[in-house]
Amino acid sequence: MNNKLKRALSGGGVLALASLMAAPLSAASQSGAQLLQERCTSCHTPTADGGLSRISEQRKTPEGWMTTLNRMQSQRGLRISADERRAIIKYLADTQGLAPAETSGKRYLLEQTPNVLDDTPAEYAEMCARCHSGARFALQRRTEGEWERLVHFHMGQFPTLEFHALSRDRAWFELAVSDVVPQLATDFPLKSTAWDQWQQADKPAPAGGWTVAGYLPGKGEFSATLTLNAKGDDHYGLTLSGQYADGSPLTGQGSAVVYTGYELRASLTVAGVKMRQVLALSADGSRMQGRMFPRGATEMGGELSAIKAGHSAILAISPAYIRQGESRTLTLTGNGLTGKVRLASGLKLDQVISRSATQLVLKVSAQSGAQPGLRRIQVGSSAMQVALYDQLVRVDVVPADSIARVGGNGGKQAKVNATYRAVGYAAGKDGKAGTEDDLALGYMPASWSLKPFDAVAEHDKDLDYAGTIDARGVFTPGDAGLNPERKMSTNNVGQLAVVATVKTVATEQQGQARLLVTVQDYIKSPLQ
Amino acid sequence: MKHLKSFNKKAQLLEKAVADGTTEDVVAMQTVVGCTSTNDPGWEVDPFGGLGSLCQPMESDLYGCADACWWPAQVPDTMSTHPGWSQDVAKANEDWRQIDSVFPDED
Repeated sequence: MNNKLKRALSGGGVLALASLMAAPLSAASQSGAQLLQERCTSCHTPTADGGLSRISEQRKTPEGWMTTLNRMQSQRGLRISADERRAIIKYLADTQGLAPAETSGKRYLLEQTPNVLDDTPAEYAEMCARCHSGARFALQRRTEGEWERLVHFHMGQFPTLEFHALSRDRAWFELAVSDVVPQLATDFPLKSTAWDQWQQADKPAPAGGWTVAGYLPGKGEFSATLTLNAKGDDHYGLTLSGQYADGSPLTGQGSAVVYTGYELRASLTVAGVKMRQVLALSADGSRMQGRMFPRGATEMGGELSAIKAGHSAILAISPAYIRQGESRTLTLTGNGLTGKVRLASGLKLDQVISRSATQLVLKVSAQSGAQPGLRRIQVGSSAMQVALYDQLVRVDVVPADSIARVGGNGGKQAKVNATYRAVGYAAGKDGKAGTEDDLALGYMPASWSLKPFDAVAEHDKDLDYAGTIDARGVFTPGDAGLNPERKMSTNNVGQLAVVATVKTVATEQQGQARLLVTVQDYIKSPLQ
Repeated sequence: MKHLKSFNKKAQLLEKAVADGTTEDVVAMQTVVGCTSTNDPGWEVDPFGGLGSLCQPMESDLYGCADACWWPAQVPDTMSTHPGWSQDVAKANEDWRQIDSVFPDED
């Protein structure tokens, strides 16, 4: 019997015995505060100010508290039911969470956005972000004493970190305690004005109808109605109903919870696929912004923005570009799109193809001699800009630096894909491509191909083994495992260039991104 | 450096990276969120932003690094945190299909 099985059996035994001796109260009837007292105080002791040792000296996101409870369960012998766990996470995220301003710029980690480059200051990158992201600790708030205990935890839990480069070659522990800990306490303090103000702020509930615009790799752009039905205690039933740009339907059902007054987390099933939404509500309750992704393949998700019924705004215009002398169909998604349509100079409205309060399809033409630049499209009091351009001169592939991970082939880890989009640019006023004033045209349709990234990749025939890309810019890596066809039975890893070719009537441009196809990740964390 | 001669492949790569001024590219690949920048050896990416100096195939030397928790955010460390991980799979290079990830219980 392995250790894992032994632990599972002994844990199950304890739970079964407990439930025989005293049927536990349902989580709904117990407050998170009560549960915290009942489940956590055998280790955490009361503090002078009415809190609990260690716990009261930290603030975290819902995912942060979930990670803490994961660790308490797997490492420290905490035994709680799934309902109790949810109630404790909810209580702690509500009472010791992060204010919206405190998660700003780091939400990509909560949203599980793939291929983000960590922009962490050197002192943190060299000490902390060697193993995990910088956002993982930047999304926490602690007292100085608690930041110091976190250093001690790492030393105790991962003692061989002493042998890492940047540990073995300097007095890392002294540096961590004397320099990094005070800096963390200054940058990410337990007490903050933002949190004090957020606790006092009105927090509008999200119940009701929302118009959403978003994108899913392999599927494309979509627009839909999201309805949240209040179930009490910040819990909601959820329905999603809309369509992709190609007209195919998008429908889903599920549930959502709002943590900390603005952190919406939804689980829903879309076409048989379990998906999640990680959204932030705006302070006035009129907007939501975030990401939707398949639960088992977080990289196959995309951005999502929403506006609540009763508020007017344009969420998206697709496409967001029009060339001089060209006539194009533009689709506007938003709310309250009922007012007069007004186009800025150089653009002419040829026809309103269809219109509803949430979607407006326009035939628009651009004058052949119009000055290139951003142009406003206004509907009633709402407006958004599109790019009127002369010539496509540059294509960027996003993300520019990316990884995919081998998987499948009978193993237990799924492949981790990489997905790409092409962004077009015109030269801007200086007439030169690749300069600061290039005019961004937004996402453009592209054809996709791969090539070896460098001479080493060519020599190792990475292109033959590392994976393939489809017509929608979705890269699927090669199979996991040793490959006897390759030198030393190397895995199907490789370095590739992902090439997007964008064609317009006048020209054709290519852009490329770097892709490293690498090995599996054996730790699936909600906060990498 | 002019009196030192690169002896092995890794040293040659290092010299080349410095000469080419490709250190920026190297940093980019190592700062993709989720990747470790501990790269002596690396897990996803080597010190030069590529794959040439990784242990390959990774299954052949997996436990040598997991036991020592070399990349504890990518590979379960069997020293402290996940002592039972993969303990029933004696030979990773033969039975790699049986090695599972560590999943947090998200429900």
